[in-house]
Amino acid sequence: MTEFEPKIVAFCCNWCSYAGADGAGVARLQMPTNFRIIRTMCSARVDPEFVLRAFSKGADGVIVLGCHPADCHYIGGNYRARRRIALLKLVLDQYGFDPKRMRLEWVSASEAEKFQKTMTEFVDTIKELGPTPLKEVKH
Amino acid sequence: MSFFDRFRKKKKDAPVAKEAKKSAASAPVASGVVCKTKTPESIEANYMHAADLGELLPGAPPNGKIKLAIYWAAACGGCDVSLLDTNERILTIGDMADIVMWPIAVDGKEKDIAEMEDGSITVAIISGAIRNSENEHMAKLLRQKSQIMVSYGSCACFGGSPALANLVAGGSKELLDYAYQKVPSTSSFQADYHPDAPVMPQTSYAAPEGELTLPVIYDRVKTLDQTVDVDYFVPGCPPLQETISHMLKAFVDFVYHGVPLPPKGTQIGVTTSSLCDQCPRTKEYRRITEIKEPFQVDVDPDLCLLDQGILCLGPATVGGCNARCTIAGQPCRGCYGPTKAVQEHGASALTAIASLFPVLEDDGIIGEDKIMDIMSTIKDPLGYFYAFTMAKSLIKVAVNEKGGQ
Repeated sequence: MTEFEPKIVAFCCNWCSYAGADGAGVARLQMPTNFRIIRTMCSARVDPEFVLRAFSKGADGVIVLGCHPADCHYIGGNYRARRRIALLKLVLDQYGFDPKRMRLEWVSASEAEKFQKTMTEFVDTIKELGPTPLKEVKH
Repeated sequence: MSFFDRFRKKKKDAPVAKEAKKSAASAPVASGVVCKTKTPESIEANYMHAADLGELLPGAPPNGKIKLAIYWAAACGGCDVSLLDTNERILTIGDMADIVMWPIAVDGKEKDIAEMEDGSITVAIISGAIRNSENEHMAKLLRQKSQIMVSYGSCACFGGSPALANLVAGGSKELLDYAYQKVPSTSSFQADYHPDAPVMPQTSYAAPEGELTLPVIYDRVKTLDQTVDVDYFVPGCPPLQETISHMLKAFVDFVYHGVPLPPKGTQIGVTTSSLCDQCPRTKEYRRITEIKEPFQVDVDPDLCLLDQGILCLGPATVGGCNARCTIAGQPCRGCYGPTKAVQEHGASALTAIASLFPVLEDDGIIGEDKIMDIMSTIKDPLGYFYAFTMAKSLIKVAVNEKGGQ
């Protein structure tokens, strides 16, 4: 049997994390290829509906990456985002998902290495957890 | 006056103007007037005025009556009561239409409906979600026999409270086991009378007189439009009394005067904006620091409930109910469902509520655990935000994963 390759959706904010991901690519840092990046203007643009839709369409994990606190391009976007994601984590927990499937991380434009480390870690976590439990139930 | 104050004032005036235009075109709706009022007494007076529509429904048409079928699926019966709540106009409904089926009031049976020709019922109004095989059978039968099908009430439109049972991971088996074995009253009954094997309801039983059957309960509650094709939606728990009058008038106008019906899929009785637009309370745009239940505080009759720390789903819920609950000091629970722009009512409410938590002074240095502690003050977010719309949400079932609840 082939090894389980998770599908991960990564939401990156335009000003920090997307640039960080770009930096990781330019520097040719090695990392798994299981994630698909969606660029948003801010981490606060990530509506909880996006995350739920990703899960309902079969994503094994969702990670939201934004600027560090106090470093948001729009002053306070990431403060909103972290509250929403925290509440969303509680909702996912109630649905019965392992809360580790949803992650929020801060990656700045210069932190290509942190991006690599975060993504590798997250892919490993999801590989450990296995495929999304939604695959087994008809929904 | 700050920049934002000017903006707010403008916004408040807009719906009144829109409402005035609307009332000139169709029947009068007084919700715009409600928006302007301030004191609780005047709010109440205006609200009573809004509920009294006068003689809306026409009498018996010259060329016979339309046929009306009303059915309840998985519902509490509140929707049927709301139909009866049209007061003396219920008599006019009788003049205007032949009610061929209405389990709560009229003696029409399933076999009478089955004998009718296809499409011979003008309007079928169904309240309640699709919970078991009987609900599904009746929904399909009425769809076949009627020309217009209306999904009436929150349970039929969004799943309502019955759909919260979709969060039981074990499905119908776990539900039945719980109800017939684990609830204190049934567990002691089973222990006293059936100690060897508990007696459970059977879907078919061979009695000496013949086979007896019961409907099969499904694992998942569905909405009406997930089961059959639906023409119109009337959300609400229950919908406003005047909505049913407006709706029936529209059908009668169509049948006898050729007035075109609204396009298929229209939600009847909702506004284009959120409930906050209809709610007369003053919005201060403060922040939630502590969550309170209405019984824990002396609710200010004039101030926005969110400003008082009461979780109100008004910002995420579509208007149309004339803010019945918030005027009475109770928070909106979201029975009218999401606004047109969003699919997920729960996620929309979650976003709105989470954004009201203030940014802390040390927000730049605290970790996610601290934020988690703050947000954990909301108890049962899934049940609260999806109280009425579970069957329409993106993730419709609970899963069972190690590490999850």
